[in-house]
Amino acid sequence: MGDSQYSFSLTTFSPSGKLVQIEHALTAVGSGQTSLGIKAANGVVIATEKKLPSILVDETSVQKIQCLTPNIGVVYSGMGPDFRVLVRKSRKLAEQYHRLYKEPIPVTQLVRETAAVMQEFTQSGGVRPFGVSLLVAGFDDSGPQLYQVDPSGSYFSWKASAMGKNVSNAKTFLEKRYTDDMELDDAVHTAILTLKEGFEGQISGKNIEIGIIGTDKKFRVLTPAEIDDYLAEVE
Amino acid sequence: MSRGSGGGYDRHITIFSPEGRLFQVEYAFKAVKAAGITSIGVRGKDSVCVVTQKKVPDKLLDQTSVTHLFPITKYLGLLATGMTADARTLVQQARNESAEFRFRYGYEMPVDALAKWIADKSQVYTQHAYMRPLGVVAMVLGIDEENGPQLYKCDPAGHFYGHKATSAGSKEQEAINFLEKKMKNDPSFSYEETVQTAISALQSVLQEDFKATEIEVGVVRADNPVFRVLSTEEIDEHLTAISERD
Repeated sequence: MGDSQYSFSLTTFSPSGKLVQIEHALTAVGSGQTSLGIKAANGVVIATEKKLPSILVDETSVQKIQCLTPNIGVVYSGMGPDFRVLVRKSRKLAEQYHRLYKEPIPVTQLVRETAAVMQEFTQSGGVRPFGVSLLVAGFDDSGPQLYQVDPSGSYFSWKASAMGKNVSNAKTFLEKRYTDDMELDDAVHTAILTLKEGFEGQISGKNIEIGIIGTDKKFRVLTPAEIDDYLAEVE
Repeated sequence: MSRGSGGGYDRHITIFSPEGRLFQVEYAFKAVKAAGITSIGVRGKDSVCVVTQKKVPDKLLDQTSVTHLFPITKYLGLLATGMTADARTLVQQARNESAEFRFRYGYEMPVDALAKWIADKSQVYTQHAYMRPLGVVAMVLGIDEENGPQLYKCDPAGHFYGHKATSAGSKEQEAINFLEKKMKNDPSFSYEETVQTAISALQSVLQEDFKATEIEVGVVRADNPVFRVLSTEEIDEHLTAISERD
């Protein structure tokens, strides 16, 4: 792909053995808006801040949480344009799997293939790594699952995780609040409280996004009205 | 031990800097400002209007060939702020893509689909070293069948958002401040109000009163969803209405 003049990798080892471009990509993720995910006993919730550059932006035109298949959703921290590319590629990979095996792609497989794409961009010629970390939430025959994928292409399964600006405070908060037998509703409340911790300004259904998937195995993004209801319960 | 500035190439091609920034993308934004033109777009209840300065640098130039407003299809318009050459290649590709869309799917390309396509193309330039980002901010306008009047802005970083009102170019921030005040209470502008808000915003931010030949105005209206560039006479009518109003 690309011009033959750039048929060499831009991500190369430093003398100390580090891949500095990947580290810089992680820095880009760390300055992105906070997002988090929590795996409950009967579902998964992912959430993110939705701070727009101006009140003139039509917030209904922006959706940060996307679904990759009917039962898998994803949120990101970092560079929005890079996220769109990964969403498109992941959706196509999921569809190709379905066409071949006539069954929906398991969450682990989709995560593995998406991570492989991200790894390619750390090694291929003439490209830079993706400046996003993903939180993939899904519910399949193996139950509810939450995976985090980094710009390097490495991925881990999490019970709860956070990324972006407020990551250390958010993770400490989650560690305190997380219990293995949480229900999905409790998880949503905890997610909102965690976002609220580091939130600058007034939190409302218009400046955060929440996506959930339960035992019905249907991923959906909550409407601003539903988020406002949860916020009222939390107060 | 972290290396300094990535071998110094992070300013030349789109690789990450140590702070996780893409300098080439940031420089592309600067190139948009350096063009010296400011543009404004406003979305009303049933119309969208975009306005930009028309600076003809040389009296010998044919004024009709100096333009930043381009029809992409009969129903979609594009206002390109920034480097004119980059704008022309973007317009050419957008025209091609929207024509193919119509052929492939049997219906007109919606505004947000075109904006997304432009933004996705811009993203590729931010990730592949062999092509630099374009020094253009594109405002796409049209009437969407389901959502009504739409105004989208796409930038060199690959971001795109729908806007109630927005601006691009050298006085972008001043214009956005002005528009935020005007749109604070979610007003619902009629066609005339939309055009006049856009023109008066430009006048206020640049602190000069325009002649009809010094600005370009493009509109789409729900009752006539064709993208139209206003004639000098029509612009004059709006300018007169604005000065009488004040």
